[in-house]
Amino acid sequence: MDKAIIVDHLSKDFFVSEGKKSISDAIINLFKKENKKRVKALKEISFTIQSGEIVGFIGPNGAGKTTTMKILSGLLYPNSGFVSVLDYDPFLKSKEFLKEISVVFGQKNQLWWDLPVINSFEFNKAIYEINDKDYEKSLNELVSLLGVSELLNTQVRKLSLGQRMKMELIASLLHRPKVLFLDEPTLGLDLTAQQNLRDFIYEYNKKYNATILLTSHNMNDLVDLCRRVIIIDGGQIIFDGPFDEIVKKYATEKNIKITLSEEVKISEIEEITKVKKYNYPNLTLSVPRSTVAYVAAELLQKLSITDLNIEETPIEDIIRTIFKGEK
Amino acid sequence: MDKYISILKIGFQQELAYKLQFIIGRLRNIIQILVFFFLWSSIFQTQDSVFGYTISSIGAYTFLLIIIRSIVMSTKVNDVSGFVSSGELSNYLLKPINFFKYIIIKDIPVKLLNIGFSAVELTLLFIILKPNIYIQSDATQLLFFILSIIIASFIFFCILMLSNSFPFWVPEAGWGAQFLIVAIFVEFLSGAFFPIDVFPTTIQNFLKLTPFPYIVFIPIKTYLGNMTIYNNLQNMAIGLIWCFILFLLLKKIWWKGLKVYEGVGR
Repeated sequence: MDKAIIVDHLSKDFFVSEGKKSISDAIINLFKKENKKRVKALKEISFTIQSGEIVGFIGPNGAGKTTTMKILSGLLYPNSGFVSVLDYDPFLKSKEFLKEISVVFGQKNQLWWDLPVINSFEFNKAIYEINDKDYEKSLNELVSLLGVSELLNTQVRKLSLGQRMKMELIASLLHRPKVLFLDEPTLGLDLTAQQNLRDFIYEYNKKYNATILLTSHNMNDLVDLCRRVIIIDGGQIIFDGPFDEIVKKYATEKNIKITLSEEVKISEIEEITKVKKYNYPNLTLSVPRSTVAYVAAELLQKLSITDLNIEETPIEDIIRTIFKGEK
Repeated sequence: MDKYISILKIGFQQELAYKLQFIIGRLRNIIQILVFFFLWSSIFQTQDSVFGYTISSIGAYTFLLIIIRSIVMSTKVNDVSGFVSSGELSNYLLKPINFFKYIIIKDIPVKLLNIGFSAVELTLLFIILKPNIYIQSDATQLLFFILSIIIASFIFFCILMLSNSFPFWVPEAGWGAQFLIVAIFVEFLSGAFFPIDVFPTTIQNFLKLTPFPYIVFIPIKTYLGNMTIYNNLQNMAIGLIWCFILFLLLKKIWWKGLKVYEGVGR
């Protein structure tokens, strides 16, 4: 398989003006050149993605995920390093390149605010030069999948955040891009829509052999979709490998969340397993993956419980564990 | 071709969605014109002719000013500085269409609507002020006039885009830069406040080497037609040279701007 995305020793710096402390500083700044601090957003990162791969891109806020995506989609100019997407230099923004890619940023707004949604779709149809047949097909598919058929003639400004997010997605996918950059695509969606969207991304990847780079703080997105994960922190890649490995390696435990109906002593619970947090009636336990079922059964027997939930360790917790290990 | 038609369509729909904004824009235009007209009328109360202008030729100047403003100066380019500082520009950069072409085409509906409205305003003003209007019927002069308007629109587009490029480097400077360049230089030196021939000849000759008179003054003079073919050709040549220079400059500045663009907020 050929490489869809190549990133080699990529660096990007931003200049941030140091916060103005007082009015007099602000006045001085009018006459004097302001001292700007150089912030290294990306420090010589390298990776390649094969065409048809779905890769999860994770890291804390400000790690450089979005910056990387912006460089890959041609919005930002890198300070140094080599970038190629489908053999194009993204920054040159050639029409052929832009027709092959799509970017969905969680808070982006490409829809025409004051017009019915359908106008924005038709606009994209023309701009991307999509033929009638493909347009009809894509639109129907996307609209029924996300369940928004009755909203097509609504003014964009009157849509809720979740509805608008779905429309953004439709607008981004009408031209059937070969490379997709999804930055928090499920942000603001309800659970059904999240699941639908994941199924759709999965199908889309299979059907069109599309390459997908995805950032998300939603563990389910990553579990369902990504076989490979790149973890980035402080502008550097600290993990790049199969998703299984990161879960096996770092998410060795699951959380059991319990609501108790009768108060018990903490020592009693600790006989069974490790207590993470206890604040009656809420109890959170951390349990090794292999023994989850067993521990849960035991808890239900010994304690009077109104509610019990078994949850994956949040991705942030896993990342935090990794970061601790690195430092 | 579909591409461009759909930009025209969305442009029209958007203009119509912002009806009040459009009407306020027109109102501002009318007030500017009235200020111009009454200022000159008060001068003519004490004398019959100033700098070769009489009350009726100033009336004609005023009417042409309305037409030229609505064609040349009706534009959405002013939104660009906001796009740059808010990061909204990213939406356009990701689309497979040239941003300059997009902006220019999107201005066509704006200009057409403004021309339509200015026609109504002109009729009303005509009834109220009853000026002496010179109707140009010479085909050659009209051809030059149309050419001069196209040149004027393009020069104005380039200057406005240049002043809207400031936020690439100074995100908060958008409005100030525009005000300085457009309100001071363009309005003052283009002939939108007073005809350029009120200046002494040396200053006039110097100004004619800058791009500003080609935005308002030259098109009006071309319409009024008191120029030789040679003068016309010379004006068009200088105007075209400025189109060329300004566009090259704009492309260069824009390219540099995109390199430092941070696409914030998205």
